[in-house]
Amino acid sequence: MADLGRLSLVTCLLLLIYAVAGGSFAAWKRKRRLAQSAQNALIASFGVTIIAAVVLMSALARHDFSFQYVADHTSRELPLRYSLTAFWGGQEGSLLLWLLVLCGYAAAAVLTTRRVARDLLAWTVPVLAFVGTFFAFMLVFVSSPFATQRALADGAGLTPSLQNPYMAIHPPMLYLGYVGLTVPFAFAMGALLSRRTDERWIVATRRWTLAAWAFLGVGQLLGAHWAYVEIGWGGFYAWDPVENAALMPWLAATAYLHSVMIQEKRGMLRVWNMVLVTLAFCLSIFGTFLTRSGVVQSIHSFSQSPLGGWFLGFICILVAGSILLIVARLPLLRSKTRLESLVSREATFLYNNLLLVALALTILWGVVYPILSEAVTGQAATVSKPYYNFFLHTFGVPLLLLMGIGPLVAWRRASLRALGRTFLWPLGAAVVAGIALLAAGAGSSRIGVIAYTFSVFVLASIVLEFVRGTVARRALGGVGWAGAFSSLIARNRRRYGGYVVHASVVLLAIGVTGASAYETVRESRLKPGQSMSVAGDRLVFRGYQARTESNHRAIRALVDVYRGDKYLGRYRPGKNQYFAEDEVSNEVAIRHDPLTGGDLFMIADQVNTNGSIDLKVLQKPLVNLLWLAGLVFVGGSLIALWPDAREERRLAARYADAAVRI
Amino acid sequence: MTAALIVGVVLAVVSVLLVALPFLREPTASDDRLVSPDESQQRRLGLAEERDRALAALKELEFDHRTGKVSDDDYRELVGPLRRRAAETLRALDVRATAHG
Amino acid sequence: MARRGSPARLVVALSVAAVLAVFLLYTSIAGGGTPVVRPSQLDGHHGRVSLMGQVVGKPSGDAHAGGKRFRLRDVKGTTTVTVVYKGTVPDLFQPGRDIVVDGRLRNGVFVAVPNTLVTKCPSKYAPKR
Repeated sequence: MADLGRLSLVTCLLLLIYAVAGGSFAAWKRKRRLAQSAQNALIASFGVTIIAAVVLMSALARHDFSFQYVADHTSRELPLRYSLTAFWGGQEGSLLLWLLVLCGYAAAAVLTTRRVARDLLAWTVPVLAFVGTFFAFMLVFVSSPFATQRALADGAGLTPSLQNPYMAIHPPMLYLGYVGLTVPFAFAMGALLSRRTDERWIVATRRWTLAAWAFLGVGQLLGAHWAYVEIGWGGFYAWDPVENAALMPWLAATAYLHSVMIQEKRGMLRVWNMVLVTLAFCLSIFGTFLTRSGVVQSIHSFSQSPLGGWFLGFICILVAGSILLIVARLPLLRSKTRLESLVSREATFLYNNLLLVALALTILWGVVYPILSEAVTGQAATVSKPYYNFFLHTFGVPLLLLMGIGPLVAWRRASLRALGRTFLWPLGAAVVAGIALLAAGAGSSRIGVIAYTFSVFVLASIVLEFVRGTVARRALGGVGWAGAFSSLIARNRRRYGGYVVHASVVLLAIGVTGASAYETVRESRLKPGQSMSVAGDRLVFRGYQARTESNHRAIRALVDVYRGDKYLGRYRPGKNQYFAEDEVSNEVAIRHDPLTGGDLFMIADQVNTNGSIDLKVLQKPLVNLLWLAGLVFVGGSLIALWPDAREERRLAARYADAAVRI
Repeated sequence: MTAALIVGVVLAVVSVLLVALPFLREPTASDDRLVSPDESQQRRLGLAEERDRALAALKELEFDHRTGKVSDDDYRELVGPLRRRAAETLRALDVRATAHG
Repeated sequence: MARRGSPARLVVALSVAAVLAVFLLYTSIAGGGTPVVRPSQLDGHHGRVSLMGQVVGKPSGDAHAGGKRFRLRDVKGTTTVTVVYKGTVPDLFQPGRDIVVDGRLRNGVFVAVPNTLVTKCPSKYAPKR
């Protein structure tokens, strides 16, 4: 069986090498059949990788401990669902997942683009295959999931913290995001290599980029939720290098999504977009390099592995190659349009880009600082929360404001008088909110009040956009309010989908602000019968309860929560002790307040032998807005992604007009 | 073991077939040139994109005006150049079309 | 409001400069991060450091009362130091595990900053505090 797996990977590597070599030659010498052959090779590589994945999956399901990977990451008593998700629980398996997703994206891109824009594929295929070749090479020669050994009686088991449903969805989502960024990168490089001067590649990759970006965003939120409810230290983001590894490409991709809109509408920023898409893609590879190589201390990291050197080399080739290509094609990329006014939507997009990239780069600096400081001074030093929070506030809060300003400003140039009128209502709402917040005591955190008021401003401007648009649409006649609303969104999916996504970001900002700037933390040692108060709630410790399950022993503290005289419920924070892995996991108890959207977060910090408990309780206002934001984010992305028949027809007409044969 | 071997062989054969398919379908191709837009086609494409851009900008200006983002004065100021630009691009495309048939 | 020439280039350059200035200002004021040291390197450092090492021996004491005492050894070495820690102890904390904790050396004992203890997971890929 393992032989089949190895054979599949070798076949994949050969197919991909052929796709690179054959595809490049075909693009250079203009050979149609060879180009088609290279495309087929790319598609076939997906099929072959599926076989390899199936082999590993079945070995995991069968607990085939002759596979080293299966023995290292599962055990006989591990439930089936966790045995399966152990696929990406280790280095080699997660590399295989990366290759699988990459080949899948490549095959899908080829199959869909073949029909509408075959000419774009010429150089895109070799670029996609080149990236795939690296991962296939790693899997065949450096880090194979199909290494075999004498079959052991039982495996080492999976870390308890990975034994939960999040393991099934968080890594795949992240990978769909990370790997998805390869597609716009490949098309961009392909366009440069083909010396194309048109924007067709942007049109072709628009949905791919949006989808990858959405997956990456959702993947990160899932990770935050995992950290919040399962790891349970009371937070959802620790600025750990591995967390930052996903945030940086996401920020760069966000900047790219915006500036590419300018290129489509005004023909500007063409060089910048090439740089941005390269940055986003390279950051995603860098992200996985960070996670795997152990080069930076992280609580998430894989152990030190030889993979690091290979990845670093690959990143250097990518960066050097992209820069050379962009510089070589600089004359082709020069645009004729100029920025007309600093008060225009183009300008706000520019500021947005600047802030997003600045934030991504400062995070990058923080992540690599230990390596750099050791190389330069001989003494490694780290930066932590205060550093990241400073820049999150300095760059993030103005970004928040821009989200409200941008949509209100016209393209090309806007007069200040028009701005004044459109800003009036949102500004008014923000001022009222600010006063109300200060009156309610939110002044304890200055940044909190600022973030809240800006959020109200943005939400008001988004609502206003929908209202004004619906009114204008209805005024055209023929439809009622509901019809006008749906027609408005249907005809401008990207814009209004984008507004919904903006709303989700605002919700996220409000949730993050509430849960960090306004949280209350209390710790207390309680004997049974004793109580502690946290922000108006009273918690009474009643004693312990213990239970033995199949693979662990569960100890729970019984905590009754009261608000004034009202009994709110009994909660059970505690710990699980896992026998096979000899590890303890933290099991928090969370009370969601339906009225305020906040949480009462209870951690059994220390279970004492004398029957007392060290209870740590956090009250986190508005934290559930984060998860709501995730749902709204998905909704907005779906609206923006939704196929638009009218748009397709227009594009087809455009290309037919230009007599470009497809 | 044998099942795995069979799958492996099938895998290799199918892969080779897929890769060779274009050559098997057309052993001697009359036209093996990879079609990609030549320079004149690229220019047409660029012009078509500019035309669409100008038309879209006009549409968006109308919409922004109707929703109140652009004042009447600004609208009057901006719509002229945009209309001229759109007309220019339409003309350029027409010229190209008649010139190249 | 359209101006002749290119206000864009100038403003973009100024904005980039402003961002850079903010960055440099912060890093120069806030200092160069927290040094990461091993027990054998503690001697030269008097300020706050991040101490990295392996837990050896049997920990004693109560992190939520008088403080948990344990010995920390160089991961690849023999130098040890006594650490006194108060605050949340991660579940993975055990003799033999690698940990990082912030604090400073006082009278030969490393006094930790509360709630800064982080345990590295022993296996290849696991997010764990």
